[in-house]
Amino acid sequence: MTESPGFILVADDDAVNRLLLARGLERDGHRVRAVANGLEALEALRDGLFDCVLLDVLMPGMDGYQVLECIRSEPRFRHIPVIMISALEDVDSVVRCIEMGAEDYLPKPFDPVLLRARINAGLARKRLHDLEQEYLEQVGHVAAAAADVETGTFESRQLDGVARRDDALGQLARVFQQMAAEVQARERLLKQEVRQLRIEIDEARAARQVAEITQTEYFRDLQAKASELRLGPDTQE
Amino acid sequence: MSRVISVHSFRGGTGKSNAAANVATLLAAQGQRVGVVDTDIQSPGIHTLFGLNQEAIRYSLNQYLWGTCDITQAAHDMTASLDPGLAGRVYLVPSSIRANDIARVMREGYDVGLLNEGFRQLVKELSLDVLMLDTHPGLNEETLLSIAMSNTLAIVLRPDHQDYEGTSVTLSVARKLKVPDLVLVVNKTPPVFDPEEVKERVRTAYECEVAAVLPHSDELMALSSAGIFVLRYPDHPVTSLLREITARLTA
Repeated sequence: MTESPGFILVADDDAVNRLLLARGLERDGHRVRAVANGLEALEALRDGLFDCVLLDVLMPGMDGYQVLECIRSEPRFRHIPVIMISALEDVDSVVRCIEMGAEDYLPKPFDPVLLRARINAGLARKRLHDLEQEYLEQVGHVAAAAADVETGTFESRQLDGVARRDDALGQLARVFQQMAAEVQARERLLKQEVRQLRIEIDEARAARQVAEITQTEYFRDLQAKASELRLGPDTQE
Repeated sequence: MSRVISVHSFRGGTGKSNAAANVATLLAAQGQRVGVVDTDIQSPGIHTLFGLNQEAIRYSLNQYLWGTCDITQAAHDMTASLDPGLAGRVYLVPSSIRANDIARVMREGYDVGLLNEGFRQLVKELSLDVLMLDTHPGLNEETLLSIAMSNTLAIVLRPDHQDYEGTSVTLSVARKLKVPDLVLVVNKTPPVFDPEEVKERVRTAYECEVAAVLPHSDELMALSSAGIFVLRYPDHPVTSLLREITARLTA
């Protein structure tokens, strides 16, 4: 049993080969879907989320090259490792497949140890890619959350998924959530204060201050001649 | 007919000088001849907004009050350095920033009555349409005189408790002096406040018209300290608010 089983698509027109491959892979704990030609392989790819494809080079109708070309040109599939199956002596076709983007090749007749090693290496690459994709997606969630904070549409639960990570990104999300929650709480409080905005004046104290000013001789004098002091139409005579 | 507009706040730091300098510039842009007097002799500042280098000038309000110059000699035409395209004029009478001059004012005082005489002379000699007085915070004698002489008094306040009571005192005093036109300007309003709501509450609390509610932001603080905001950022929303204030003060 392998430690990290995957979901593997086997495409080979030879029924015996299909059976041998499927059994070998299932013995190692993998889930397998086996198809007999290129068209079926593409249909299967559209239906399922495969971690690896074992693809025979020579098949009737759509051959392995064509299927490989389709896989590599389709953004949804191009990250799935493809291991080509070819006869040991057919070096040219192996080279061509590698140049077209195949990850590896498996010579016929199959050696179980080699099969396991190739499959495990392919699955490891796929997992690394998936992890990278997931990481980038979650970085995207944090960036989107920052934009939402700016527009006032951030909801603290929207980062829960990222915050559960036990790495630096998870810590960033948790700190971000906490800071955003604090800012939101402060804003709520301020808004509440605005709603309760009261202009409270100690009238008695204000009256005392007014009296202190207005009861001076200077002020009384000023008050008496204030209207004269103001510029009138005669100023620019 | 000329008009005297005092811009006052009971406490410092409300943005009073900034409002005065911008309103003066907007008036000059409309073709008016405007005089600005920094009557904040103890802590002058508006000259920096106009970009006046005090080391290069000989006379300020202080020299006029001590009888060593005529008030018009202390009036510096800032129009060309502000914007040569201004249709009107801006004359600035700065207060001296020299430590000795400030110390002398504090020690000896001066004849406050001379201010009135000087303001009248300025209006007459320079054919001013508007004389703006940037006052010292609080209510000392020269500030009371400035208020008494004003056709319009604009009181700048921030929406915080420290400013509420002082604004109330200033309004009471101005009403006793029968200043014909009183208006409030709310400045440095936190963005979380709804400006219309603040305007209505302030208007109701003081039974006084509110010309505008200006926002607070760090960006604005940085931009507005470097010069005349309305010239540097003519399309900024705050410039529109300053235009509203200008229109109201000269209505």
